[in-house]
Amino acid sequence: MEVKVLLYTVLKKYGEGKIRKDDRMNVPDRITLESLASLLDIPDKPGKVFLVNGSPRDKEYILQEGDEVKILSFIGGG
Amino acid sequence: MGKLRFRYGYAGKQLRISLDRKKCTTEEINPDVMRKYLGGAGYGARLLYDELPKGIDPLSKANKLVFVTSPLTDNSIPGGGSIMLCFKSPLTNAWGESRCGGDFGPDLKRSGFDALIIEDKSQDPVYIFIDDGEVSFKPAGHLVGMEVMKKIRAIRDELRDSKISVMCIGPAGENRVKIATVMFDQRAAGRCGTGAVMGSKNLIAVAVRGTRKINPAHPDKLNEAVKKAMKVLRESETAANFRKHGTTGDMVANDAAGDWPTKNWHSNSWGKAEKLYEQFYNNHLVKNHGCYRGCPIACGRIAEVKDGKYKTPVHEGSEYESLSAFTAFVFNDNLEAAIHATYLCNEYGIDTISAGGIIAFAMECYEHGIITGQDTGGLELSWGNPDALPALVKMISLRERIGDILAEGVKIAAEKLGRGAEEFAMHGKGLEAPAHDGRSGKVLALTYGTANRGMCHIHPLEGMVYDSGKFDWGLMKYGIPDPNTVERWDEKGKGRITKVLQDGLIVPDILNTCKFFMYAGLYVDHLAEILSALTGWDIGGRELLKVGERVFNLQRMFNIREGFSRKDDVIPERVKMKPAFGMYADEERCAIKDFDGMLEEYYEARGWNIKTGKPSSEKLRELGLEAE
Repeated sequence: MEVKVLLYTVLKKYGEGKIRKDDRMNVPDRITLESLASLLDIPDKPGKVFLVNGSPRDKEYILQEGDEVKILSFIGGG
Repeated sequence: MGKLRFRYGYAGKQLRISLDRKKCTTEEINPDVMRKYLGGAGYGARLLYDELPKGIDPLSKANKLVFVTSPLTDNSIPGGGSIMLCFKSPLTNAWGESRCGGDFGPDLKRSGFDALIIEDKSQDPVYIFIDDGEVSFKPAGHLVGMEVMKKIRAIRDELRDSKISVMCIGPAGENRVKIATVMFDQRAAGRCGTGAVMGSKNLIAVAVRGTRKINPAHPDKLNEAVKKAMKVLRESETAANFRKHGTTGDMVANDAAGDWPTKNWHSNSWGKAEKLYEQFYNNHLVKNHGCYRGCPIACGRIAEVKDGKYKTPVHEGSEYESLSAFTAFVFNDNLEAAIHATYLCNEYGIDTISAGGIIAFAMECYEHGIITGQDTGGLELSWGNPDALPALVKMISLRERIGDILAEGVKIAAEKLGRGAEEFAMHGKGLEAPAHDGRSGKVLALTYGTANRGMCHIHPLEGMVYDSGKFDWGLMKYGIPDPNTVERWDEKGKGRITKVLQDGLIVPDILNTCKFFMYAGLYVDHLAEILSALTGWDIGGRELLKVGERVFNLQRMFNIREGFSRKDDVIPERVKMKPAFGMYADEERCAIKDFDGMLEEYYEARGWNIKTGKPSSEKLRELGLEAE
């Protein structure tokens, strides 16, 4: 299935070559947010925040076709 | 004292200056005392606990302002460019400390002093010049009223040294504004009203120049330890990210994480950080900058607003806390106004975090008719009004109109205004709350409630960074669980975690090193290795944590002596409640259900009395604080 994936600041580089220019990405059906992060080779630490269609979701959340996912991580808190 | 003299790591002397008598005394420092407290906020706590009588007015001549270094205070030590100022806070009447990055600390030490103790009050405005150990007093009447950078340039011109380290107050400090800062160029010892204490002494500035070298005990070991530390930093992704994005880069993730207090804490998210940060990065960021010479991370931001009504010169500022305070806190999405207001805070010498918090408080009072246009001279304080930001910064700094009340900080201002204003005053122990939200993770809520200087942005930050950021700072071997196994919303277990985090993350404040170096991978074990090579002492990470615990407890005892107890270990009710709007408005787990339960688990872990919050006599004995 296809989802839209947006990465920010420190995570941007993990999308290179994996997320298309239109921000879309093909992923296995019923993939969780945690598995999506692994697919993108985003490391476990620092922690991450996931927003799906604008709402915060836990890492176990299962994605649906067409979802917009934002993945964010921390530099050092600010 | 012959045998006890320091040979390595320390200058071995402290300079005591009485301003009313213009008298200087050089005193030897006792190595036995220093071994227990090391320096920075540790030695500062020991000095002030011993020397300040209970119950003094922080703005009277009885208060003391102490500038403290540590063995690691040196430009060649990673993170070693800073100075710690300690005092009784006029904002909170509690323990006050404020760290400032820059070359002042290393220069003070090169001038021959580990610490500078300022006492009493000068009859006329004065500044102090410490030139390689020689002290002179300079009249400063002509500097009064000048903004910070103009004042620093004038002092450098007078001393004919364009690079000399100067720390000074702005007009706000001269006006005893209780959120006034002491500035090193555009860096601030910002929190707790340190500038008001300096202003109350009629001390306008301190300039220092030093050329001496402090010898390390083991030069080869030091060289090796520093090389190892530099390798850690070179390989650290966190260090590279700080360099590229600064602290400001965390606005976006913190907003998404529910860690971005918005509209005076009605919410913990806004959804606008993404756009605001993009605008900052693309249009206003000039370059990165190190706050001291030789910083290998250089997370500082040089920024400008090129034109328009909020135009600024190229300046240093626009940190995460400052920009968040003048955007999310006050519900303002005009970034240029926010940058301009933070620039003005540095020029007038007030703390950006407290200033943003006070303006948010004033806007809520205005919404409820507690503050009116009559109080503001017609200035409209509606939420997000960008013009109100620079105007209120000036009114607070100069104590004009409503600014005179607001200059007391939100706690006192709310008491003076009455009519329910207390509900809008977001503070801990009297210190305005910073730009992290206790509803994003429960360790943060607890660190806010129990921090010795109140709701500050330095000590409690580790709560958020552990719960959400999943950082462990190498402390898992000292008793904290892997943060990846801990759910940020859980309350149980957070008391025990908080105790270890506080003991570990106070170490940079004792050693006067930049905390971000710990975030980048320079852990207590590395710091212990460097400290041992410098001093010749054999100190490991575990002993550093014990010093951290000792200092945390001594600062706690300072507060207890001033009348603080469990009743003061609280956070505002609003911070415990589900947010009123934003991305987490439907997230029940945000709410803090049993703050008292977390607090009691924490007290138990600390060895404190559950009812009073006072350290037990067994704990004090264990820490070598028996006499307290």
